Amino acid sequence: MRRTYLGEFEEIVLLMVAILDGQAYGVTVSQEIEQHTGRIVTFGTVHNTLIRLEEKGFVKSELGGATAERGGRRKRLFRVTALGSRALQDIQQLRNELWQLMPPQSLKLSGL
Amino acid sequence: MKSTPPRWAQRLLAWLHPANTLEEVEGDLDELYAYWHQRAGKTQATLRYLLNVLSVLPPFVRRRQQPHSYPQPSLFHPDMIRSYIKIALRNLWRSKGYTAVNVVGLSVAFCICLFLFLTAYRQFTFDSFHKDGDRIFQTYLFANDPERVSRTGGMPLPLMPALKADFPEVEAAARIMSGRTSLVEYRGKYVDKMVIQTDPDFLTLFSFPLIKGSSDVALRDLSSIVVSEAMAKAVFGNEDPIGKHLLIGSEGNKKQYIVTGIIADSPDNSSVHYDALVRIETAPNYQTDKDNWYANSHRVFIRVAPDVDQTAFEARLKPFAQKYFANTIQDLRKKGAKPDERSDVFAIRLQKLADVHFDRDISNGKGAPIALIYVLIGIGVFILSIACINFINMSIARSFTRAKEVGVRKSLGAQKHQLFGQIWSESTFICFIGFVTGITLTCLLLGTFNSTFQTKFTLTYAFQPGFIAWMVGVFVVVTFIAGGYPAWQMARFNAVEVLKGKVSLKRPGLLRNSLIVTQFTMSSLLACCTLIAIQQVDHLRQQPVGFDKEQVISIPVGNQVNGRQVLGRLRNRLTNDPTVLAVTGTSTNLGKGKDRVTSRSTFGFTYKGKQITTDWLLVDYDYLKTLDMKLLAGRDFDPAYAADSVNRVVVTESMAKLIDAKQPVGAFIRDDSDTTGAKSEIIGVVPDFQLYSVADEARPIAMHISNREDIHYVFVRVAPQSLAQSMDKIKKIWQEVAPQSEFLGSFLDENVDGWYQNEQAMSQIFSLAASIAMLLSCLGLFAIALLVIEQRTKEIGIRKVMGASVVNIIVVLSRDFVKLVAIALAIAIPLAWFGMQKWLDNYAERITISIWIFAGVGLASLLAALATVSFHSIKAALMNPVKSLRSE
Repeated sequence: MRRTYLGEFEEIVLLMVAILDGQAYGVTVSQEIEQHTGRIVTFGTVHNTLIRLEEKGFVKSELGGATAERGGRRKRLFRVTALGSRALQDIQQLRNELWQLMPPQSLKLSGL
Repeated sequence: MKSTPPRWAQRLLAWLHPANTLEEVEGDLDELYAYWHQRAGKTQATLRYLLNVLSVLPPFVRRRQQPHSYPQPSLFHPDMIRSYIKIALRNLWRSKGYTAVNVVGLSVAFCICLFLFLTAYRQFTFDSFHKDGDRIFQTYLFANDPERVSRTGGMPLPLMPALKADFPEVEAAARIMSGRTSLVEYRGKYVDKMVIQTDPDFLTLFSFPLIKGSSDVALRDLSSIVVSEAMAKAVFGNEDPIGKHLLIGSEGNKKQYIVTGIIADSPDNSSVHYDALVRIETAPNYQTDKDNWYANSHRVFIRVAPDVDQTAFEARLKPFAQKYFANTIQDLRKKGAKPDERSDVFAIRLQKLADVHFDRDISNGKGAPIALIYVLIGIGVFILSIACINFINMSIARSFTRAKEVGVRKSLGAQKHQLFGQIWSESTFICFIGFVTGITLTCLLLGTFNSTFQTKFTLTYAFQPGFIAWMVGVFVVVTFIAGGYPAWQMARFNAVEVLKGKVSLKRPGLLRNSLIVTQFTMSSLLACCTLIAIQQVDHLRQQPVGFDKEQVISIPVGNQVNGRQVLGRLRNRLTNDPTVLAVTGTSTNLGKGKDRVTSRSTFGFTYKGKQITTDWLLVDYDYLKTLDMKLLAGRDFDPAYAADSVNRVVVTESMAKLIDAKQPVGAFIRDDSDTTGAKSEIIGVVPDFQLYSVADEARPIAMHISNREDIHYVFVRVAPQSLAQSMDKIKKIWQEVAPQSEFLGSFLDENVDGWYQNEQAMSQIFSLAASIAMLLSCLGLFAIALLVIEQRTKEIGIRKVMGASVVNIIVVLSRDFVKLVAIALAIAIPLAWFGMQKWLDNYAERITISIWIFAGVGLASLLAALATVSFHSIKAALMNPVKSLRSE
């Protein structure tokens, strides 16, 4: 196992960055999370998570061009790094393996 | 209409959000606001906006770390160090003058401090070399006498054995009887040595290492003697001293001893000094006084078991004192003595070994007053802080010329701590040079210091770990204060403002001025105190001593010859000499002679229920004539009356008053309890005279003549003409009548001056310290004035062009500094007045502080400051304004 651990919310934000593919920044990430998961999160949470992901090396960022709707302010655009995509794939693979190990009747019995 | 979030929330965000992510967050939130507004309306959007703003404010927001855009070389990168050294050397070289002022100031201050702290260190480490020193005590007798509370270290002989027998917690105890030196003879070789009489426990109680012999047996026999290393070398040379026989004592009273051990020399900082140790049972008065609880003759040291508490043990000693000193307590009660706060009228108490040296009452007045040592340390700190203030002031003043360098370094990426390190290490370097120069200076001046103040410091003395740690501590503190503050100031400079040239002319007024005031306060305080102390010492010296000290030659007899015989021969030789007016002998020198010996023999007795202690002075015929003392009543000793040399005394006025007889002449003095009939008849009364220094307690004096006691000093009164010739003549005759004895004659007035040697040494130290403090302060002022005037060159030029006269300009330039000195004086003078009043209260004979001292010191400091400043201001005022205004 790798040392760096991805939290549940961190994983969602990282997935969103991957989904948005180059168009990910604070606004789009929060909107996507709201749309896809129905969770309403404060902007600060997203902002902090993005910074934390960047510190861990899963995403990288650069300042994009200015747009008029933001009063001429630049946005910070995020991209998944190679390390980030490896982490996502590892998680995916681990989950698949765990699903494979599950006896077929266990979920049914639990009353799903 | 496009809606916008509330302005105050935006401002709050801009104000509190971290600067490096502000732009993107502001943009994102605006975009989100627009989105919410469109979807849910204005109220909803505003609410969510506020909530989200809150979520990106500290402490919730995570800060993005600033990536380093440049590589950060280590502070100790070789290239940087080379650069620092180069810049430092250039700087020091460019400002040679200031560097010199700093180095000189610091080294002088360090040198003085080294001497003062060395003196203090020696005093504080007195007796500290004994193992288990915290368990060793000296006993003393306390008496709450209604006339005068007394504490005395002199103990009666039976006390120590009784103490050891009654209290098992006393592990070891030793009586120490020491007085004048004894004559030691070994195979025709004679030396004078300090042979002290003590108990075998001495060797185990103290930690003086025994080099040869065993501490259990070395003093087992009454004929054993343990000699010190130095004495072994002096007497036996390279021979092995163990088992050799020594003869000790003056002629007719010699006793043989066998050397059984060699003990290390007593260190300089020991309260107990010896050349050799013998058993106390060999003391001449031992047999007569061994059961006498009222003859106090020696000191007693004890070591108690590890867990014994001093106060508890002293409480246990109470019944002991009541048992053995019942008579004394009764007498004290009769006189009306009340119990003190520890409910004792009379008690045996203990003094810690570490404090014995500072307790003059119980250590025969040999100790140093502890206040004096604090004063010495205080002076050292004063001088050091004056030098530090110079350093700080100059560094700060000069920092503005270096501001550009700081600005450039900062804009090239230097961090605050790097700049601080650089500047601080430069100051530390200067401090270090000062420190080393100071130490060198100390080494060079050690000889002068030792001879001036009669100390015996050697370089090895300074190289003790404790002292080195102390000095290194002082050095570190100095570098932190003197170097650290200016460096911190400079590292704080704002690069942009400095490079724009905004900071360079700002005047660091308040700090600098208060530091200058502090400096001058300290130095004028020292100056005032010094002058008052010198006046007081002079006053003491001019006190009438009660005898005529002029034209009297005092000759120590020494142990090699019999004093009485020599006196007789001398009398015969001089009796027909017209230049010799009188010859006499005595047991006690007046003042400090060339042999530096002082001794005191006192006699205590109870007279009609009154406890009286007098000095018991052995004299010879013509004592009064030689010292030119007038009789108030009765007559002098006369050889015509045979009984005069047996039991008759001449007493001083205060003694006569104590006897309280209407007719003192003819009265008998003796102890009430003494029934053997030995009593002394008073035959004459003389005015009080001073037998010991004013620092010692003055007692009434009883003079007696006895053929059984030894004469130790011969006094010769010579005619007033040709004193030097008389001295030569007496010396020649002395060598004829006492060829074995070295002639150590000196005039009595010189001897009497010796009484004030301590006071004199103190006033010398004070004057030296005060003048150095004043000098250093002026040195600092000199440098500051130069800098300030340099900064005001243009102003002076303009003033001149506008028509100011030279005098005007000098006044303008000097005014500020003179004002500071005046403030300093206003602080220092009341302090000095108050402090010295307190000090003078200690003396019975004191001067009144004259206002002129303060006026003089004030005027002198003002003049000194003015002279220092005007050196520069006159130069500046005379400068051609064309030159100063043209320069850019």
